[in-house]
Amino acid sequence: MRFRNPLVTFMFWTAICLLYLPLIYLVFQAFLENPNDWRGGFTLRWLIKLFDSPALWEPLLNSVEIGVLSATLAVSLGTLGAVGLSNISSFLPPLIQTLILLPILVPEVITGLSLLLFFLLCRFDLGFLTVVVAHASFSASFVYFIMVEQLRKLDPQMNEAAQDLGAKPTEVFWKVTLPNIIPGLMGGWLLAFTLSFDDFLISFFTSGAGLTTLPLKIYSLMRIGVSPELNGLSFVMVCISTCLVLMLVSKEQSRKWVLKG
Amino acid sequence: MKQTQILPSSAWAFLIWLIVMTLVPFSIILGMSFLERTELGTILFSFSFKNYQQLFDWVYLKVLLKTVWLALMATLSCLAVGFPVAYYLARVQGPMKSLGLILLFIPFWTNFILRIYGIVSLFGSNGILNQLLSAVGLPKASILYTRWGVYVGLVYNYLPFLVVPIYSSLEKLDPFLREAAADLGAARFQTFRKVILPNIKEGVFIGSLFVFIPMLGEYVIPDLLGGAKEAFLGKVMVEQFFILQDWPLGSAIATMLSVLLLGALWLQNRWASKNQNGAKEVSSAV
Repeated sequence: MRFRNPLVTFMFWTAICLLYLPLIYLVFQAFLENPNDWRGGFTLRWLIKLFDSPALWEPLLNSVEIGVLSATLAVSLGTLGAVGLSNISSFLPPLIQTLILLPILVPEVITGLSLLLFFLLCRFDLGFLTVVVAHASFSASFVYFIMVEQLRKLDPQMNEAAQDLGAKPTEVFWKVTLPNIIPGLMGGWLLAFTLSFDDFLISFFTSGAGLTTLPLKIYSLMRIGVSPELNGLSFVMVCISTCLVLMLVSKEQSRKWVLKG
Repeated sequence: MKQTQILPSSAWAFLIWLIVMTLVPFSIILGMSFLERTELGTILFSFSFKNYQQLFDWVYLKVLLKTVWLALMATLSCLAVGFPVAYYLARVQGPMKSLGLILLFIPFWTNFILRIYGIVSLFGSNGILNQLLSAVGLPKASILYTRWGVYVGLVYNYLPFLVVPIYSSLEKLDPFLREAAADLGAARFQTFRKVILPNIKEGVFIGSLFVFIPMLGEYVIPDLLGGAKEAFLGKVMVEQFFILQDWPLGSAIATMLSVLLLGALWLQNRWASKNQNGAKEVSSAV
């Protein structure tokens, strides 16, 4: 039975259009000669200027480095957890289940504040490393759920066969399990990288004074007001984020996670 | 079950990580919320409920009530916009379903700050809305830096988090329910009101809670879209840490929000297991 309800269909598409309006306008704004007036004509000047300035490259490089390191850390930890717990994941005591879910469930403000207090009380210097660790602290749980899903799809008889043929547990992991979960690993890594790259609040709380990531740079420019530089940076960020999302969505196994995230 | 024991120790790396990076920081917040701050801004190690009592002082109570009201309006608006969206996605078949879901989610996987900046560009004093208004000779609308700015930001940013639970409750419904109701002579609206709505109300309620509670703690939206004068619970909480240097009071607010969230999680699990038991009873009766 085909669904025909013109009112609901209309409301759906109106909502979708409204959701895209601010982002489309952001992209459009980056090409305006005068950012405060759309009748002033178009130019590529701001974008070209941006690529020569350190205002773009330093935060971008920081964001990428933090993303790569924290995604790698999160994938290692999340996968270790999933390999150890996947078979018993539905029988875990509620306390452990809640603990794994906590970083996903709790609003970022509270995660950020608690990590800030933690770092300060441990007398860690806020900066690059604290941001990497903080990002991995919440993305590891996302990776865990992806990898549990991935491991469930594996044929358990494969492990048994390897063991019967005399493989030690570590050999089973490196030679049988790992090669079979590589697509999931890549999806998880990409998700963790995207989470880190797009994160604002956790970086805001744990970065201290010296470090700037791309979202932090956009935030600090926003507090000053609308400027061509800000519009250009926003345009770059929209492009990177959209590419990351499309890569994520195109991976079948992460599609579900796009929804749950 | 020997194969379940492959590298069981590996799980410990992950669990210890979670304990150190999640449980310990939250425990610090929890512990901090019972401490006191001295006049000089240092922290006094004595156990008291003073911070929680302070939240019921008129100064903070006013902020709390204002925030609850704004978040409630925003949640209800999300419901009003999100329900048709979820309903469409649940009912439509074929490629439109996955395309619709992807279209809904792409904006929310682009950067959060950019979404806020997009709203600023649309509604700011030199934004497109006001440029259009002045082009036709109307007075400027000042939405930004008022509570309406915060409201728009909340609805925009939380919408998909309410669409998903409604969508999944609708998806779980047995399609034959609708047919059965139609066969028994129910009109479409009657089916919706008497068959569909009672079956999804718990899911919708829990979904709303998981949108409403994080809204209360929102910091960036009131900071960037509300004016300096607009007090908002999440903003007040962060300011306790960064400006007023009252960590214990800020921690008390954070603890309160976390407890509310855990309560919602508990309610969700309880209802989920109740429904499972119900399903078991039905299937055993059959």
